[in-house]
Amino acid sequence: MWLWFSKLGSPRWFYELSSKWLPWLYAAMIVLMAIGLFWALLIVPEDYQQGQTIRIMYVHVPVASISLACFPLMAVAGTITLVWKMKLADMVAKSVAPIGAWFTGLALASGAIWGDQIWGTWWAWDARLTSLLIQFFLFIGVIALRSAIESQDAAAKACAVLAIVGAINVPIIKYSVEWWNTLHQPASSFSIDPVAPNPPEVWVPLLIMISAVYVFFVIALILRTRNEILQRERRSQWVIDLVSKEKSV
Amino acid sequence: MKPHRRKKLGIIIFIAAGLSTAIGLSLYALSNNIDLFFTPTQVAAGEVTPGQRIRVGGMVKEGSVEHSQEILEVSFVTTDYNHDVLIKYAGILPDLFREGQGIVAEGAMSADGTFVASRVLAKHDENYMSVEVKAALDAAGTTPGMPQGVLQ
Repeated sequence: MWLWFSKLGSPRWFYELSSKWLPWLYAAMIVLMAIGLFWALLIVPEDYQQGQTIRIMYVHVPVASISLACFPLMAVAGTITLVWKMKLADMVAKSVAPIGAWFTGLALASGAIWGDQIWGTWWAWDARLTSLLIQFFLFIGVIALRSAIESQDAAAKACAVLAIVGAINVPIIKYSVEWWNTLHQPASSFSIDPVAPNPPEVWVPLLIMISAVYVFFVIALILRTRNEILQRERRSQWVIDLVSKEKSV
Repeated sequence: MKPHRRKKLGIIIFIAAGLSTAIGLSLYALSNNIDLFFTPTQVAAGEVTPGQRIRVGGMVKEGSVEHSQEILEVSFVTTDYNHDVLIKYAGILPDLFREGQGIVAEGAMSADGTFVASRVLAKHDENYMSVEVKAALDAAGTTPGMPQGVLQ
């Protein structure tokens, strides 16, 4: 277990292993995305209240769910950086921040488009929307903090602390719709009964879209992390060998 | 785990737990300000003063919507099934506005106890289904109760 843990912490090992994963991930993303989009945009029946607008859900829910996963991931990576000083953890933490900012921005934007249609406003200062906006600023803050500190180690530590502190916001976002009264509706519970609210014809395509966007997220994270590995390890022999091999091809 | 790492992890967990408690308590203290709207029960309990700009949220009571014949004015009753608030509004209602629907109205209480709204927003609940499924549920009389979605 510890051997595996320390091996995973080796950037070179991760770089080589992820080279093998990437083609499979690309294939999975294309298949899932094609099925999910086709199903969600063309086959899903109109909602009894919202009509065609319901299709926004198939974009909004996946991006919002990933935006909520990014911060805990960054906090866990930050904790590993602070406690075990694993090199790879900080590379992942650095790579996930801009992706998280983008997904949070997309969740806010798709939610605004949906809200404009259904609520009659694109923004309300309710607990769910406001706490998600705070998460967006926290991501921007982490990115800014990292670029403001010159020393790589000091930047890693500062960002790890901010990530751990900021992660407290995640349960607040999640449960805001239950703790306070909000314009945003609470989370749905899915039913396996075809004649019930939220039947499989509604959530199966949603599940496919969520998996597709998750695979996209994993690909984006791996690519950014690989880029970070090459930059930080550019003086090590294996990267020099790799680059000269690429050049000769 | 090496002692110095265990100590570090302990410090991180301690600080995170302390901060969570502090933030949790302040959010709990502020919960009246975080709530987006007052419920009709809170209005009936006298929690709002006339003229103060607030939001009121509840369900549109069945059979209470009255459109004015001459001008773009509508009045309706919003309810949380304990108390009612009469709302007057001159403006365009959202598409989803209908009887039995959850709404949030922005405006102020007037001295005579009606709520004069300057904006009306529609809420929807967390139940999604097709027109056919809805019709089948209605026919079977097992449509889930709408209220809990809007009131909590």
